[in-house]
Amino acid sequence: MILHIDMDAFYASVEQLDNPWLRGKCVIVGGTSNRGVVSAASYEARKFGVHSAMPIFQAKQKCSKGIFVPPRMERYKEISKKIMALLGEFTPLVEVVSIDEAYLDISASTLLHGDPEDIAMHIKRKIKESVNLTCSIGVAPIKFLAKIASDMNKPNGLTVILADDVPRFIDALPIQKVPGVGKKTFRQLQLMGINVLGDINKFPENTLLERLGKFGKRLQELAAGNDRSRVAPDSRHKSVSSERTLGEDTRDKPLLKRYLLKQAEEVAWHLRKSGCRARTITLKLKHADFRQVTRSITIATPTQSSKKIYRHAASLLDDYKPLKKIRLIGVGVSGLISREVPVQMDLFERRSEKDNGWTKVDQTMENITKKFGRDAIKRATFGDE
Amino acid sequence: MKITIKKNDLLPVLAKVQGLTGRKTNLAITTNLLIKTTDSGISISATDLETGFEGVYPADVESQGSIAINSRKFYEIVRDFPSQEISLNEIENHWIEIGNEHVEYHIVGMNPDDFPEIPKIEEVEFFEIESNVLSKMIEKVVIVSGATDDKRAHIMGIYAERIIKDKQKIFRLVSTDGSRLSKVDCIYDKNYRLPEGPGVIIPKKGLVEVNKFLDAEGPVQVGFKDNSLIIIKDGETIIIRLLEGSFPEYTDIIVKSKKNNIYLDRQLFLMMLKRMSILSSEDYKGVIFNFTEDKLVITSTNPDIGESKEDMVIEFRGEPITVMFNPRFFIDTLNVLDDEKVLINIVNEEKPCLIEGEKDKTYLSVIMPMRI
Repeated sequence: MILHIDMDAFYASVEQLDNPWLRGKCVIVGGTSNRGVVSAASYEARKFGVHSAMPIFQAKQKCSKGIFVPPRMERYKEISKKIMALLGEFTPLVEVVSIDEAYLDISASTLLHGDPEDIAMHIKRKIKESVNLTCSIGVAPIKFLAKIASDMNKPNGLTVILADDVPRFIDALPIQKVPGVGKKTFRQLQLMGINVLGDINKFPENTLLERLGKFGKRLQELAAGNDRSRVAPDSRHKSVSSERTLGEDTRDKPLLKRYLLKQAEEVAWHLRKSGCRARTITLKLKHADFRQVTRSITIATPTQSSKKIYRHAASLLDDYKPLKKIRLIGVGVSGLISREVPVQMDLFERRSEKDNGWTKVDQTMENITKKFGRDAIKRATFGDE
Repeated sequence: MKITIKKNDLLPVLAKVQGLTGRKTNLAITTNLLIKTTDSGISISATDLETGFEGVYPADVESQGSIAINSRKFYEIVRDFPSQEISLNEIENHWIEIGNEHVEYHIVGMNPDDFPEIPKIEEVEFFEIESNVLSKMIEKVVIVSGATDDKRAHIMGIYAERIIKDKQKIFRLVSTDGSRLSKVDCIYDKNYRLPEGPGVIIPKKGLVEVNKFLDAEGPVQVGFKDNSLIIIKDGETIIIRLLEGSFPEYTDIIVKSKKNNIYLDRQLFLMMLKRMSILSSEDYKGVIFNFTEDKLVITSTNPDIGESKEDMVIEFRGEPITVMFNPRFFIDTLNVLDDEKVLINIVNEEKPCLIEGEKDKTYLSVIMPMRI
């Protein structure tokens, strides 16, 4: 059996935990200016229709009583670590999906810890005791159903789908609940007359492949109660990124590049910390009209150097001609490979780039940061901020 | 415009221009050919806005004019046309009638006035090179190509330079992907009038197209002017717009070790490397070369698949060297070398390895190791 554990309104709950005055109130975690988006909303705020990823100004309109607090990622990470460590006591098969979400494969743990429902209850109790927060747990024989189940009784819920109930559950499962079905696919599925997952079985494989591509095949498997994805513990990061909504929309490329430098540094820091090099560098831009574009480049020699990431991101920015002002800029890396994997050396690097200096700077900054914290040292360009 | 043309005159050129007209550009008309009547026949033009082609061919011209017609469809029509004589007739509104007494096509053309102008470059100082020589040079440098989204000029292009020395003059092509380099020379007698000029960067794609136009024999004229490369052969002209940018100083990375000259049988070495590259994958591309006294051992390890090992007797007396390479790079080079024996020269595990033929010194390949 698979368990999906999802913390209830995680960021907002942590804020309410740390600040009793916020309890029972509409807490909205997100950028404090009107320009950011909501990272998390407490259940009190959700009643007003506030949800994550909603622009702050809209959240303000919907929920005039809302109390807006800036996110404190370090604190959330600290608590998340405790929770994940606790989950590890039940099984080594823990797949951490994000800061507030994890899958557990407890198939082999039932002898030791009792039946799945007991284990789920036990986990909920332990989390409550340890960090005083609630979570919702879904229990099902396959991963995607566990995820759907955890969402069915939020907050502080527990939903169990037994193996015998799976076919009946799938037959009645609204298609938009299936992970991967977004707005566009949903519309397409509706046009085909597919409203519940069970409807997929009415179509032959060819038709599904033709109309929905690979995803059609996946839906067919899910409809048959097959989910080939396993709980993958220690799943390495697939990408690292850093982005920021600007204080003011701008076209000023030198200014944008200063943000890129800072972001490249942060991304490189994460790469070095996780012992990875990245093959693909992506520049993300959001325009004043919220239209978003990404531009990426794949480099021959995977890197973890802030300079290289910056240089490629900056050159992607140079090549891009924005029609509107930019409101958000970010840089991300993907195609991560372990530092242990051999890397092709560059023919011209040593003479033309003088990269060594930067590597040293990167390392020194890292050491200082380790000792004195993230704000102890910064690049000179940002001294004026 | 009304003309009659022979299938044999038309088909070879239509086949050769498909690469150019098949490339996506931001002008729809570049999928077309421009056909114009001349005094003695017709001219056919094609362009991808970077590389332009123009050739003249014999035809019976009944009335003058010009048309723009879809290159792919025209090629298919001509290729399968049942008779030698093909008549082309422009009717109104850019409609084109193609046929003979039994076959008739009506094809929607485009306005020939919209066809991008292919620059006319005059007073070019040309030098001559044999078709097959140029073709082999191109083959040896285009094996090295970078990632498709790497837009740096020295990765997208091939460096062409003319070197005038006391005893000889050289026309040289150099290409790199950042990790390896290929250099090939065409050597001229010191008395040959090789026009001087600065080094330039030619887009690789353009040179690949040039190669399609080169015949097995016969000389071609090559010249550089106005930021373009011009190649002329038997009434056909190719003009390639050069890339702007600089090519890295490459001569000082070519460092020869005095001791470690190793001669290998090209075919045996090639087969060994092919076997050793079977286990490579996207993440694990490298194999380890172990040079010890009179022996080369290559091992390949891929944690996802397994391991392999092979040894070969060589003549080697230097200090043992352990170095990792991408075997693909060696395979590419060995495939374009002509000599039966090859010479590899290796310094250590951090310096590039040099590969050339035993006798033919016009081609040199430089391969950078991988960091273990």
